[in-house]
Amino acid sequence: MADGFPPPPGPDEQPDPVGPVPAVRPFLVTAGRVAGAGETAAERPIPVETQVIATAEGLDALGRLSFERHDIVAVCAVPQSLAEIAARLRLHLNVVRVLAEDLRAAGHLAVHVPDTAATHDASVLRRVIDGLRAIPDSRGVLRDTD
Amino acid sequence: MTPTEPVARHGAAARTAARTAVRPPLPVKMVIAGGFGVGKTTAVGAISEIEPLTTEAAITEVAAGVDDLSHTPRKTTTTVAMDFGCLTIDPTLKLYLFGTPGQERFGFMWDDIVEGAVGALVIVDTRRLDDCYAAVDYFEHREIPFAVAVNAFDGRVEHPLDEVRWALDVGDHVPVVVFDARERGSVRDALLVVLELALARAEG
Repeated sequence: MADGFPPPPGPDEQPDPVGPVPAVRPFLVTAGRVAGAGETAAERPIPVETQVIATAEGLDALGRLSFERHDIVAVCAVPQSLAEIAARLRLHLNVVRVLAEDLRAAGHLAVHVPDTAATHDASVLRRVIDGLRAIPDSRGVLRDTD
Repeated sequence: MTPTEPVARHGAAARTAARTAVRPPLPVKMVIAGGFGVGKTTAVGAISEIEPLTTEAAITEVAAGVDDLSHTPRKTTTTVAMDFGCLTIDPTLKLYLFGTPGQERFGFMWDDIVEGAVGALVIVDTRRLDDCYAAVDYFEHREIPFAVAVNAFDGRVEHPLDEVRWALDVGDHVPVVVFDARERGSVRDALLVVLELALARAEG
């Protein structure tokens, strides 16, 4: 996988470009509903890394879904985080939150909210550490000290 | 490539994959914070297996309450761009790296992004130390394991690390390291410092 990676950008990052996300339309598709408006734990928005995957029923229903709903189910043929869905489809994160919940309720998507106890578990952290340690210094070339 | 292309082109394969996939990977989240232009996106891009993606996140800014009679902080929600990347550890485990938007304004909250993160790396440019105070304060207050990584532009650090530590007023429990945001191995090692802190806490 040495190819396909762009060279890392220089230290001078450009001002955060939001891209062509429309200013008014986003919440029309959610009928004005906004995700995570609440302050309590139960009302908090689901985390940005929440994994979403299309169900078999969702993929079968693709032909009957339109616009953003279609696109979300289609892109989730492969598990995606909420953030990836939003970025790839250029949708507002909170729009994706609302639509993903709708699609989950309809049986088109499975939404896996990460279990914080699991992600903070020592055995999981050790696996991440071991996995990271195996990453070579530069792309495509293994360290010769290994 | 459009996002729908895999399904359009490999519809049957995608359906089979979705039917057989039992669970998506467990996502472990880390946060890369720091002032504007300090190298957050560069660091994410250096180690991410995908080109960093950009999405928007809502941050709640808490304005300084000087003219606030109610003593409740005046909150405004701002939409900001957020860059992120990921790294597949194995089919059941995936590391996500979220770069928090750098702001030098007052206090603010990144809760939407930070909730559930195992740790954070605060990137510092020693020429602009002021830019990272908010991030340092935030992670200390939230008791999230974090390390300070001084980005050595052109391999040089303008100030000794003990001066940086003194200027930032971070305790000895907070590691301060030098790294190069452009170098994959350097970013990897800085993230490992944070993960070791998180592990030490988990084993507490």
